[in-house]
Amino acid sequence: MMKGDFEVVNGALNLVQPSETWDYTPAGFPVPHHISNLPSTTARPVLDGHCTNTNLSDFMEQVASPFSEASPSTNGFPMDTSLPTDNITTSPDEYRSRKAPRRVHESAACGGESRSSKSLAERDEHGLNMITILLECAVAISTENLPQANRMLLELTQMASPYSPSCAERVVAYFTKAMTSRVMNSWLGFCSPLVPHRSILSAFQAYNNISPFIKFAHFTANQAILEALHQKERVHIIDLDIMQGLQWPALFHILATRADGPPHVRMTGLGTSMAMLEETGRQLSNFARRLGMSFEFHPIAERAGDVDPSMVPSQRGEAVAVHWLQHTLYDATGPDRNTMRLLELLAPRVITLVEQEMAHTGSFLDRFVESLHYYSAIFDSLGMSLPFDNPSRHRVEHGLLSREINNILAIGGPARSGEEKFVSWRMELACRGFVQMPMSGNSMAQAQLILNMFPPSLGYTIFQGDGTLRLGWKDTRLYTASAWTARPTR
Amino acid sequence: MDTLFRLVSLQSSDQQSSFNSSRTSSSSRSSKANHQLFHHPFQNQQELDKYREECGNNYHLCVDEDFSSSSSSKHLQPHLSTPPTAATTTTASTTHVLFELADFSFPPDLNIDFASPSSSSSAAGGGGGRWAAQLLLECARAVAARDSQRVQQLMWMLNELASPYGDTEQKVASYFLQALFARLTSAGPRTLRTLAAASDRTCSFDSTRRTALRFQELSPWSSFGHVAANGAILESFLDAAAGGGGSPQPQRLHILDLSNTFCTQWPTLLEALATRSADDTPHLSITTVVSSASPSAAVQRVMREIGQRMEKFARLMGVPFKFNVIHHAGDLSELDLDRLDLREGGSALLAVNCVNALHSVSPAGSRRDLFIAALRRLQPLIVTVVEEEADLQPASAGDGGGEEGEEGFLKVFRESLRFFSAYFDSLEESFPRTSNERLALERAAGRAVVDLVACPAAESAERRETAAGWSLRMRAAGFAPAAFSEDVADDVRALLRRYREGWSMRSAEEADDPGGAAPGIFLAWKDQPVVWASAWKP
Repeated sequence: MMKGDFEVVNGALNLVQPSETWDYTPAGFPVPHHISNLPSTTARPVLDGHCTNTNLSDFMEQVASPFSEASPSTNGFPMDTSLPTDNITTSPDEYRSRKAPRRVHESAACGGESRSSKSLAERDEHGLNMITILLECAVAISTENLPQANRMLLELTQMASPYSPSCAERVVAYFTKAMTSRVMNSWLGFCSPLVPHRSILSAFQAYNNISPFIKFAHFTANQAILEALHQKERVHIIDLDIMQGLQWPALFHILATRADGPPHVRMTGLGTSMAMLEETGRQLSNFARRLGMSFEFHPIAERAGDVDPSMVPSQRGEAVAVHWLQHTLYDATGPDRNTMRLLELLAPRVITLVEQEMAHTGSFLDRFVESLHYYSAIFDSLGMSLPFDNPSRHRVEHGLLSREINNILAIGGPARSGEEKFVSWRMELACRGFVQMPMSGNSMAQAQLILNMFPPSLGYTIFQGDGTLRLGWKDTRLYTASAWTARPTR
Repeated sequence: MDTLFRLVSLQSSDQQSSFNSSRTSSSSRSSKANHQLFHHPFQNQQELDKYREECGNNYHLCVDEDFSSSSSSKHLQPHLSTPPTAATTTTASTTHVLFELADFSFPPDLNIDFASPSSSSSAAGGGGGRWAAQLLLECARAVAARDSQRVQQLMWMLNELASPYGDTEQKVASYFLQALFARLTSAGPRTLRTLAAASDRTCSFDSTRRTALRFQELSPWSSFGHVAANGAILESFLDAAAGGGGSPQPQRLHILDLSNTFCTQWPTLLEALATRSADDTPHLSITTVVSSASPSAAVQRVMREIGQRMEKFARLMGVPFKFNVIHHAGDLSELDLDRLDLREGGSALLAVNCVNALHSVSPAGSRRDLFIAALRRLQPLIVTVVEEEADLQPASAGDGGGEEGEEGFLKVFRESLRFFSAYFDSLEESFPRTSNERLALERAAGRAVVDLVACPAAESAERRETAAGWSLRMRAAGFAPAAFSEDVADDVRALLRRYREGWSMRSAEEADDPGGAAPGIFLAWKDQPVVWASAWKP
């Protein structure tokens, strides 16, 4: 078993093939023009005279918008008596009329591989029916009507398949699973998570392989780090949740061959299990040695928010870079306030932050609407690139995305705890005196390079603005990369 | 790929090292991994107060009329407002805390090996990583002992680990957890009704056909019984026809079909009839009884379509054929067999085919014996009985099946777990990972588990018995076993060769049946007998 794990990690490192994507000099790379104006959709087919988008997430937004409108503020959906019950029960009918025409098209878009035996209309009705029940169920949970929610969830467990050709049905299947788990937790009165880290890592790796999102995070961050560490001889890279360290070999490669000579690299990896951290450290050390780079690795099996800052000492003359790829697979960093304190103490030359473009701090219903929209887009994007019975796609959806959905919808939000989480880290960093370093043209080029690995027809899009880079699918922004510094004068 | 569970962050490194050592030896059963790594999320009272805002309202749920029962909720009343009885040895300073995760580590006597054998080959009985069965059994014991704290703790773990779309362990955990939840909320029958109704609504001829055919194609689970039963029926009919003394007109065979396999059994029999008896192909009638507690329009539609296809196929084969469907609402034992025209005016030879039918008869009272006696009164040429091999009789079936003790619950739970684990395991290895047909089969099994774990035995349609148990009943009703011929056994062996490794056929003597009370043959999956086929004559 252990051996198998080693092999997996090996494979991952080899996968980030530096020669492919890092074959350029930072200065001389041509920056494509009008990159932010890439066509976001290849075609906008016309159906019954309506101009519609083929995009499920867009559809979800339409469907879910009444919920958002019903709430007076973003985080204050009336949980108590202010929402009369009969209002809730009638509401799904209201959606029906506006959903129907769009829905037809979504089926066509996402169910391309489906057998012809099931007519479009049947599938349409099936999907519409399920989403209606799912929405009703979310309302029932938000009003603590758990018996009612449980009944609807039982129905959905018989209806929605995570192996369906329809992306919408897959999303419904996993939302159903997450909400079933939540109802059970409510009933038990416990909601702490149990986290199977090994299987998450292997799913994470599959995600890295089949979609551009993780690569986007890695390469834009690497580029920002590279630029911030320009000409520095001693660098200290701190990864707040290093996992297998998939992104670092590519950075090492470019550092090792940079014009001003390779720096001495000290890397601190935070993570959950010392065994896995040590394994990651071994892999990275091997890689650095092969490149002839001077490298040391410090594993810390603690969350950034729990760590004693003295455990992460800065050495004189060392340029510090902090990298943080956020996710909702588990609470990787702990209390945000403490994490912020740690960042302030470290005063890094660069912080690279990759966030999911989704608010997950509001009420249950807010989180439900946000995540339904968000994951519909991700499921759609996977559906565009892989057939419905692709095992990697299932592994990513079940092992990774489903886990995120589970945590977001769980009691206590993604962290599954009472800890305070910032609504937006970008905003918080700005408030704390960190200065944003706009993503450079080279970072943009990096992102574009990654997208070039995927056919444009798949619908991945890059957005540029506010000094950030965002990778999205069609019109939905999914991951945002930004860079910050505590030392604006350099 | 095994899973490394980070259960908590607050454990010290010594536990981690024991964890490491256990992982390296995870292939052996002796692994003493005490994965007591639980995460206590609360750092201080303030955080907790915030947290309670979202969680705290759950308390009333436990006394909510839908989510409680007169008996179980008393015991399951979470100790939310009471101080924890056992504080962990950790830094938790929260004895006054509402949400103390007191004792929220694995029970010390549990040695769960989480090295989940999701690689398909190692999933055979034994080996490491049968965590689902271990946790579920512990949980069932705690339910029986009314140890609410332990129930909570184990159900929480199961809820975190289970998934109906994961590996076999996760699936078993998911479906049994659903059933336990239904039991503890006294919602068994209601849960089952909801599930069945929703499943009916999505049921179509296409989906039913695809699932049944794919099941046959990839697993001998259903085809094993079909081949054995068809062989026995055909031989006894040909014998009787030959013994009939050269009667001038072609013989008639009538089959009373009590099965749940959507007539997938019959095409091969039609073929055999068409080819074996060269000139005067016999006339075949099949009366299929579809019996369910609540009649469903979907099933009627499906059966209508099946009937049309059967008739078309018989025409193609040149077999004179008549097909009837009887939709019977209620228990099979209430079906009036005399009202079915099975003899066609006395000219037809009668065979009765029971595939998974006997266990659908309620175990209450002596319904099963009465039903078998009714079959005996039909004076059939032969009765074929195919049943799934599991001892799921309620403990006190003899006296009405009403009162179910905790012992009885535990016995049925343990046996259900054994049987359905083998079933899920065989599905896992036979089907591709993302098969909708497999999902349909698993969901059907999940409904059976709810029936077994959370519903009264008297209303159950899932109470399987062992071959020995059925044989006693058959003999008591005046039937004698008819051995399968070597030809039939060869057919079955040839059938099994078409499937992947892991399946085998064994006679009753080879199987674990010292008394030799059961005739017939077993289908075994990895040495566990799972399906039994037998033939009986008056």
